[in-house]
Amino acid sequence: MEITEKKAKNCTVVSINGRLDTTNYSVLEKKLMELIDAGEIKLLVNLSSMDYVSSSGLRILLMALKRITMAKGKFALCSLQENIKEIFEISGFTNIFEICDNEEAGLKSF
Amino acid sequence: MAHFIHFTDPNSQEMENYLKSIPACPGTCFFIDINKSTDLKYTGGLPDWGRKLNNTFNFISLLNDFPDNIVKGIGDEIMLFIPDERLKEKKTIKTYYQLLEEIYSTVYNICSFPVPGMFLPCKVSIHYCTEVYNVTFFKDANDYYGRDIDLTARLMTKAVENRIVLSEKFFVKVQNDLVNLGLPASFGCLSNVSGKFLEQFRGVPESTEYRVLDA
Repeated sequence: MEITEKKAKNCTVVSINGRLDTTNYSVLEKKLMELIDAGEIKLLVNLSSMDYVSSSGLRILLMALKRITMAKGKFALCSLQENIKEIFEISGFTNIFEICDNEEAGLKSF
Repeated sequence: MAHFIHFTDPNSQEMENYLKSIPACPGTCFFIDINKSTDLKYTGGLPDWGRKLNNTFNFISLLNDFPDNIVKGIGDEIMLFIPDERLKEKKTIKTYYQLLEEIYSTVYNICSFPVPGMFLPCKVSIHYCTEVYNVTFFKDANDYYGRDIDLTARLMTKAVENRIVLSEKFFVKVQNDLVNLGLPASFGCLSNVSGKFLEQFRGVPESTEYRVLDA
């Protein structure tokens, strides 16, 4: 898995490339928590290149959402692949995350 | 495919020979108990408890990548058994550590879910089994029997909502994985695991060591 980060006008965009599972969730956890600790509480996570997510990956996204919500920030996801969208639907995560069709729509939502 | 045991002569020598030939099937046994569903059946109808059980079972079986390893469900409790051979074949979850991390994350996600009433809380027991056999007494069924399966069920008596009870035997397997992966002993969810407890479970002649992990 690779994580890239870029600064947009109103938020920070974090992109995940590859599989997010027990072998690497801690890398994403470290990245997101570092950003939040540094005051970056407007985050858009682009999942267009993430092709698998396990429960441990979902846990990190949920932890980030909770921390940013507490800090009165905004955490959104965009560009989910179909199989990932299905996992999010079954797990109820579509009810708690703001999910945009693509990065452009995501950026506009901030 | 389970070994089918069905002999009509209770004193059959053939049965004895067959039973002696069945090999042990080492692996990891989980019991996952969904809490509060009995209460719900008295306070709401099928549309309420049926939905919550559906959501929770979906969460457990799909996201843990082992839907085909669910051996049986009795009411709101399910038993999973993952033979070592099966674990090695997996692409996504190949170690005992990963199994624990995934089940911990599942329990965490359920208990931390921000929308109330969508899922029901769970409790879990896990044991690494060596005294276990893939046998069935019913045609075309799949099942696992052995004293380690019984012990996994006994461990559940120490579980409460949002808690995982793991035998020391399983914990040692997890620790060995962390060493092999070059990770510290307290990596990931292991940072929350308790010290060792000792319990004399009913029907088990020797004391059992176990730990707990709260989500």
